[in-house]
Amino acid sequence: MFGRVKDAVADAAETLRRAFAGLGVVEVVPEAFHPRGHGAAVLEAEPRAGLEPPATSFHEMRLLREAVEGRALQPFRAQLQAESGWAQWGVAAEVVRMSPLEAGKAARVAVPPLPRKAQVLGRVEPPPRPSVRRLWDPVVPPGVRRLDPALDDVTAEPGLGVILSLPVPIQGENIQRLPKGLWMRYSLQLVRGTGENVRNLEVLGLFHLPRKGVADLRHDPRQGRILVRLEPAALKVARVPFILARRKDDGVLVSCFVEDP
Amino acid sequence: MADPIKLAYFMAVKEGASYLGGLLVTDTSGIPLDFRYTEPITPTRLQSILYGKSLEPHLKEEVIQKTLLKELKTPPDLFILSATELAGGWSGDAKYPVLAVQKSQESPLAKVGDAFRAGPRDLLIQLTEGAAPMRVMFAASVDAVAQEQAVVKLLEAGYHMDLTEPLERVTAALQSLVVKES
Repeated sequence: MFGRVKDAVADAAETLRRAFAGLGVVEVVPEAFHPRGHGAAVLEAEPRAGLEPPATSFHEMRLLREAVEGRALQPFRAQLQAESGWAQWGVAAEVVRMSPLEAGKAARVAVPPLPRKAQVLGRVEPPPRPSVRRLWDPVVPPGVRRLDPALDDVTAEPGLGVILSLPVPIQGENIQRLPKGLWMRYSLQLVRGTGENVRNLEVLGLFHLPRKGVADLRHDPRQGRILVRLEPAALKVARVPFILARRKDDGVLVSCFVEDP
Repeated sequence: MADPIKLAYFMAVKEGASYLGGLLVTDTSGIPLDFRYTEPITPTRLQSILYGKSLEPHLKEEVIQKTLLKELKTPPDLFILSATELAGGWSGDAKYPVLAVQKSQESPLAKVGDAFRAGPRDLLIQLTEGAAPMRVMFAASVDAVAQEQAVVKLLEAGYHMDLTEPLERVTAALQSLVVKES
């Protein structure tokens, strides 16, 4: 089926080629063209799309300008122009009559096959590839070292001796807040303990101190407290009331432990 | 008779590149019952870099404080540290009420023994007649009930002693130890 169509197309092509092969060509010598008049080109307005404003272009021929200057006052004359060449073409035209197609007269034209592969000319040779050489020099992996960021354990040391070397401030009790009877008892014990006249004594405070182990004692009158330096023995004994007083006549400090009733 | 109240005063100091801490346990008169201190810890340069800003809190809370508390024979009733340490976000052991005491500039409360709550973790207590009240600041781990119980103990101790003074003693003792070792 496809072969027949192909043949028919080839026949038609050959027929057309033969039909037009015999056409006579008549060479017509054209008459010299003499321009008789010159006209000015018509001004044209060129519409343009878009937002551009319409612009009028003016075209002027250089020749025309010269002619107008020379014949400015001459009136225009109309003249009929004819082309004789067309008539000659009509006379010399040859009618071609095609012979009808006849069976068996068709010749088969073999169409050369298209080349399967386009030949490439002027091929540039690729540059030679650089040869690869292998240089095996591996990087040695570094050794990993461990540095433990954990802080070392600390040990606690007993330091009671250190802290006992520092004076311990002992606040005095507010005597006014003591029951009156209790204070009377304390006063009596103070007089007995010191052997002083109660009128000659100024009580500086009532403190609770360890019964033993008080190595040193100083009075801090500004803050109404005493500073004591203790010995380790002081930590194991009970605290008992302690009255500190000053003799009014000579200012000497006297003191005594008193006992709770 | 109730057990006597024990106050634990903790202080950690930095002397040069070393840290050391001390824990003083006193009775309500301020008389020492126990005192423990740590050997100076000098972190290496690498440890300083790796720990960064967390080095000091870690040393004080995790290393020094826990070591000292482990050594105590009997647990304290109150764990007192400096206001600076507490304000720095102390997150230490919550077994004991952790607090700081500080002298205030406030006007005195009506009477001795009064307490005024200035904030969820901040109270004023009147310990001495006519004097400025003492400011008590609790750690975040101490709830309101524990705060109330702690205030009762502070009032009792404050009647006999200056509650802020033992911390100065601990600092002085640590400094004397540093001088002795150097």
